[in-house]
Amino acid sequence: MIFRRKLLAVFALTVFLVVAAVTLLVSALTRRAFEQTEDVRTTALVTQFQREFERQGDEAARRVEAVAMAEPVTRLALVLNQVSANTGGYFELAKVMAENYQLDFLELVDKRGIIISSAQWPAKFGYPDSAFESLAASAEQPAFLKQEELQDSTALGLFAVRASRVGERPVYVIGGRRLDKTFLAGLNQSADMRTLLYQNRGEHFISEQLIDPGTNAATVAARPADKLAPLIEAVRHSNQEMTSVVHWSADQADDEVFHAIPLRGAGKDRALLGILLVGNSLRSYVELKRRIRSSALLVGSGGIVLAILLSSWAAARATRPVVELARAAREVTAGNWNTKVEVSGNDEMAELATSFNRMTAELLTQKERLVQAERVAAWRELARRLAHELKNPLFPLQLTVENLVRAREQSPEQFDEVFRESATTLLSELSNLKGIVGRFSEFSKMPHPQLQAVQVNEVVRGVSQLFQAQLQAPGRAPITCKLELDESLTPIAADAELLHRAVSNLLLNALDAMPQGGAMTLRTRGDDAKAIIEVSDTGSGLTPEECERIFTPYYTSKRHGTGLGLAIVQSVVSDHGGRISVHSEPGHGATFLIELPQNGNGLPSLSEPRRTREVG
Amino acid sequence: MKRFAWRWLVICSLVVGVAVAGTAAAGVEARPRYGGTLRVAMHAAPASLDPADSTQADSFARRNLTFLLFETLVTAGAGGRLHPGLASSWQASSGPTLENQRWQFQLRHKVKFHDQTALTAELVAASLRVANPGWKIVTETDSVVIELEAADPELPAELALPRNAIVKRTADGKLSGTGPFHISDWQPGKKLILAASEDYWKGRPYLDVIEIEMGRSFHDQWMALELGRTDLVEVSAEQSHRVASEGRPVAASEPVELIALLFAHDAQSPVEKSLRDALALSLDRGSIRSVLLQGTGQPAGGILPDWMTGYGFVFPADADLARARHEREDVKVAPAWTIGYDPGDSISHLLAERIALNARDAGLTLQPTTAATADLRVARIPLASSDPWIALSEVAAAAGLVRPAAHGGSVEELYAAEQSILATQRIIPLVHLPAAYAASASLRDWKPSVDGSWDLANIWLEPETGIR
Repeated sequence: MIFRRKLLAVFALTVFLVVAAVTLLVSALTRRAFEQTEDVRTTALVTQFQREFERQGDEAARRVEAVAMAEPVTRLALVLNQVSANTGGYFELAKVMAENYQLDFLELVDKRGIIISSAQWPAKFGYPDSAFESLAASAEQPAFLKQEELQDSTALGLFAVRASRVGERPVYVIGGRRLDKTFLAGLNQSADMRTLLYQNRGEHFISEQLIDPGTNAATVAARPADKLAPLIEAVRHSNQEMTSVVHWSADQADDEVFHAIPLRGAGKDRALLGILLVGNSLRSYVELKRRIRSSALLVGSGGIVLAILLSSWAAARATRPVVELARAAREVTAGNWNTKVEVSGNDEMAELATSFNRMTAELLTQKERLVQAERVAAWRELARRLAHELKNPLFPLQLTVENLVRAREQSPEQFDEVFRESATTLLSELSNLKGIVGRFSEFSKMPHPQLQAVQVNEVVRGVSQLFQAQLQAPGRAPITCKLELDESLTPIAADAELLHRAVSNLLLNALDAMPQGGAMTLRTRGDDAKAIIEVSDTGSGLTPEECERIFTPYYTSKRHGTGLGLAIVQSVVSDHGGRISVHSEPGHGATFLIELPQNGNGLPSLSEPRRTREVG
Repeated sequence: MKRFAWRWLVICSLVVGVAVAGTAAAGVEARPRYGGTLRVAMHAAPASLDPADSTQADSFARRNLTFLLFETLVTAGAGGRLHPGLASSWQASSGPTLENQRWQFQLRHKVKFHDQTALTAELVAASLRVANPGWKIVTETDSVVIELEAADPELPAELALPRNAIVKRTADGKLSGTGPFHISDWQPGKKLILAASEDYWKGRPYLDVIEIEMGRSFHDQWMALELGRTDLVEVSAEQSHRVASEGRPVAASEPVELIALLFAHDAQSPVEKSLRDALALSLDRGSIRSVLLQGTGQPAGGILPDWMTGYGFVFPADADLARARHEREDVKVAPAWTIGYDPGDSISHLLAERIALNARDAGLTLQPTTAATADLRVARIPLASSDPWIALSEVAAAAGLVRPAAHGGSVEELYAAEQSILATQRIIPLVHLPAAYAASASLRDWKPSVDGSWDLANIWLEPETGIR
């Protein structure tokens, strides 16, 4: 499963990285494309504005010229050339002519610069035109930008100056068209572009000086003019074209890129009269970016989900032989040597499965051979033991019967006495034979453990007390018995009688191992999972070969042993679901270690005693 | 000899024939003709014809309408001279305590209202009570007695004002007068058709009908006259130059309208007085008259025109920018004033802008506005009467000032009263304008009186234009 998850994670990460990389690439390309488009559109609009500017200027100049050539203005010029010129009757002439020639500004000025008639500020008659000197120099020149003072404001316009020269006193006609909302609205521009005009007047930015053709109450609230103040101030100070992004709200889609173009007037100083602001909404770009991001997220999410599904399928497909092999290995470990793995395909995994199957088959063959060999060896050992066991009582029986025959033939008078003695011997040996047969029979009839709560320490103490008499028997080399018991040991599920017998056998085995005396230690310890009983002696110890075979039935290293003591111990321990092991070196004693499971519920079925044996 | 005699006979016959023909022609021209419809256009658009309705703006047109329908007890002639109207005579009480406090007016006999009701003292008293709720008016057999709380030698002149015209008001709101014409059709603010009163006590008017269109701009009036669609129109000051240049005769009265600046309140401090002085001194009335008003009218330093008082030249009307700036410099910080104008009156707007420009030269800031709450406003005040005291009194009332009391009625007192009104600095006179009219050639015996009023009862139309 871990391998599958790793595979899954690698697949998902790969898909995610690919989608993210594609999204970033597309976003970058889109941004670049938009920037280029915006540059192109801004350039086009600026060019268009300049063209419109020139066209409007030419148109204004043409109309001003037409006014100068008009009959009423000529008549005014004639009046001015009279000795006592009274121009009061021409007070409204500029207004009428401006209406007729569709001019927003028109002033008729005499050669001293005195306003005779003004359309934009009729009440200003008789006052001098403040910029007359420079304006008179602009007569017959192309149109120019001029800031015109009005009654309560100023206005920016395209002006032209023409003179009606009749006699020595010409009339200067100063007229123009206003750069206002109408002018800006007349510019041909795309829906997401707009053009604003700032009339440069005063020391600081004044929002009222900003002309926005799309202004209404809603846009004023949503797009306060003050947001443009930094850009306008920067252009005012640098007198150069500048570009800036204006954030109208927290929503990026409301952002606009503004290209600010300074508009300069005529004259030597070419004063900065206005600033043209070409705005390009980023809404379409931001929305496209959002759509790309959403699509990327959608595709990415889908890709990840698909990757999970595909990688799950692929991982399952790739790991299925491995899982199968693992399962087969577990079964082999559990003793099912006949386990086979399905082989499909001809890839490396199929080769591995074939090898596994071949291995298990070989193992099974070897095991059968081993079992067969062991079975033969066991029978041989059993035969040897039986021969050995039976040979000992049979020899006295043979001698006794021969003695009886000899006594009958050689000393009939002593036959009765010999018969009594021989009968006794025969019965004794027969009893001995019976005992041998009984022990073999008893081993074959080991009872199943009856589990109940058992205090291991109590069992160990009971065994120790039982053997106190033997340890202190006269004529025996002294053996000390030491108890090191873990009093915190909790009861375990076990058969107390069988456990007592197993521990007793270990103690008997230890006593036999110390004919010269020594020390014997009984220890208990454990944890929540198991209880451990150790029986150590300081006897002659065991060779590694003896350790290997010591739990084999009928195997003994003692001269008079049956070889069933430790086999019974192992049988008991195994029936409890535990295991027994021995640690020993020749000349350094031996330690037998019994591990018993703590909880009876965790025991494997008692009908299937474990046959594993571990030797340290 | 015979040939000579024949020659003499032919010559004499021709001379006699020409003389007879000339005499006949002269007789045709001089003899008025009855009948015809006079078409009149006017700028004003009154919603009511009731002379006592103070909610209607005063204007020459309204006054003229009033005198076509109604009459006053006393009428004012040229120079403020009073003549009997519906009152055949009047007399004031005398004595040290009641002099000029009790006035008795003897009513004219055989005068009838348009609804044929006879003119009675009770109806006259009822009419006067509507216009003058504060007066105590009693009736005697054929006379009306007005008892005042204070002496008023100008009461007869006041009774000559249009608002004191005698009107019979019926319960259903209809008005009836004793004037030369009666109402035939009345569309308030739009059109008024008058028909000649057959039994008018001064004799039936020559005209049968007068059709009056109201609310027409001066330009429209002029165009209608040019196209022959109307017979009598008003001429604004700014039109006068063009009308004269096109050869159309303009009949103008004496200057009977005052254009002035009226402050909304008294000067609150010496500083404000200085600023008002500066403003008055900065005004270039000459340019206003010569350009804005196209040479019409007279620059006004005083309230009353010179023709009315004889001393009008005493009040300086020329600008004195140096003094104006000096007055202004005495004040550290001058507030910005708003100057109001009537948005329906183009000349008023131009005047406000021009005055703002003049004021700027003196260092003052005036912002033209149409708001009613302006600090000062350009006002056109028709002089109510050719009687100077009455005119001065009405101007003072229009400016929100106390009416001057006319004790003896001498010129010195009048001058002092006018001077005291000017001293309040609530009013700065600008120009005196005449009432000007243009008429079609078919209109005969047409001439406005010195105070600008019409006398349509005595004009007549040429037959070819009169019969339409």
